[in-house]
Amino acid sequence: MKAIWIIFRKEVSAYFSSPLAYLIAFAFLLMTGIIFNNDLALSVTVKSVDPSLIPDFLSLLMVLFAPLFTMRLLSEESREGTLELLLTAPVPDYSIVFGKFLSAWFYFSFLLVLTLIYQVLLVTFSYPDFVHTTAAYLGIWLYGGATLAVGLAFSALTENQIIAAFLSTITLFILWIGDLAGEIVASIELARVIRNLTLQGHYSTSFAVGIIRVEDVIYFAGMMFIMLFITVQFVESRRW
Amino acid sequence: MIEVKNLRKHYGSHVAVDGISFEVHQGEILGLLGPNGAGKTTTMRILTGFMPPTDGTASVAGFDVMQDSMEVRRRVGYLPEKVPVYPDMTLKAYVTFVARLHGVPNYKHRVDEVLDYFGLLDRRDKLVRSLSKGLRQRLGLAQALVHDPPVIVLDEPTIGIDPKQVIEVRDIVKNLREDHTVLFSSHILTEVEQVCDRVVIINEGRVVAQGTAKELGQQFKPQRQLYVELDGGNAKAYEKLLNGLNMVDKIEAEGRGYVLYVSTTDQIQKPITRAIADSDFTLVELRQLDVSLEDVFLDIISKGNHS
Repeated sequence: MKAIWIIFRKEVSAYFSSPLAYLIAFAFLLMTGIIFNNDLALSVTVKSVDPSLIPDFLSLLMVLFAPLFTMRLLSEESREGTLELLLTAPVPDYSIVFGKFLSAWFYFSFLLVLTLIYQVLLVTFSYPDFVHTTAAYLGIWLYGGATLAVGLAFSALTENQIIAAFLSTITLFILWIGDLAGEIVASIELARVIRNLTLQGHYSTSFAVGIIRVEDVIYFAGMMFIMLFITVQFVESRRW
Repeated sequence: MIEVKNLRKHYGSHVAVDGISFEVHQGEILGLLGPNGAGKTTTMRILTGFMPPTDGTASVAGFDVMQDSMEVRRRVGYLPEKVPVYPDMTLKAYVTFVARLHGVPNYKHRVDEVLDYFGLLDRRDKLVRSLSKGLRQRLGLAQALVHDPPVIVLDEPTIGIDPKQVIEVRDIVKNLREDHTVLFSSHILTEVEQVCDRVVIINEGRVVAQGTAKELGQQFKPQRQLYVELDGGNAKAYEKLLNGLNMVDKIEAEGRGYVLYVSTTDQIQKPITRAIADSDFTLVELRQLDVSLEDVFLDIISKGNHS
């Protein structure tokens, strides 16, 4: 447990001591700001404010960004030889993986908290649906964690950060777009199974509309667990 | 302190370590010597708990590297060949990180102490990326020693740094002997000769010789070498005289004198001096040359390759 904390602290300070972290935060706010303002402009005349606007946008963005957040975490250690330092320290392998995962999730949470500024703004001139928004935020928080776990697994797989990012982007994109496959298969049962495997299938029709379902929470938690388990296996395979 | 028995390591079909056995006693500096790819790094990686052996056993301070990996890792300080540093951390943050991973009590004090010992204290707030290679090596040593381990494993610690720093690192290693057991790898013979109490020479994954530098010299050198310098004649006459000595196999001109290769173990200085005294020449110098580990090494390696 203590080792997880030590690794976590080191990685968090690595995130926040890099100028890239602030650039990404800036880009995050810029993009979400444009989306928010656009929605606001439309909501004056055409429609009401969308309570899950930002989380919905992030559900796409994380497919592209999660690999960038995680690509460095293990592939760099392996390339720079520092993995040898970690793996010969008296700490279990899983604590290294967990510490790193939690630091990435923490960084994502930080970005998520930044976007709450839009909710604060909304309150000043509107009556937003808070319960709906809260559910969507909880959803995207778990969703983000799952995408980061996928990214981390690929980071453990290869020493090359670009390859790690590329492979995880492809994987996440397939997981994201997979529910479209349901539209082209004839069997409803099969379509349902496919949809249940995808990220969108557990977000767009539940969290995004303000519903918290246990199965969705389990899906994302399970995804994180499985991906972290795979990551630990990859790290251990470095010992062979 | 370190016991290695019949250690084997295969990477797929490639055999990196093929049944190595040796021991390192408490307070000893053992040199692991061999050409690149001999299996030095693999052996060290097994001893530090980085990878499991395919076969055989290895133990550190009485703990088996497989069964009690954590206990072994707690007792070993390890400096891999490529110094494992994070370029974007400060020196202090880096050593603190390692100290905390090893669960060093009162780590703040210890980190300053070890940075001070390696002369890095005034640079503690600088980024690791700003360090020269030699300083990085020192930082690597600081990292390996921060938890004050009884056993220290150093993989080619003098590779790629300038001569002055090489001497520094060697002195540091020599000083470690007082309270540590050190396993030190190198492919430079003079270094091992200078630094280590005992040497294990490995080649192609096997131990080909072990002992002190002196023992190895005696054991493996078939020929003795003597240096002779004469005066009062010309080169041709010297060569005729020296070649005429029946215990000398071969002579070779070197500097102002000659190196004589002698294969008998008998006392030979006397007959040589007598022969020279009987001639018209004056003996300027006659001395026995030490067999360098280099000769032993090349001898062993080349024999290994021929067989």
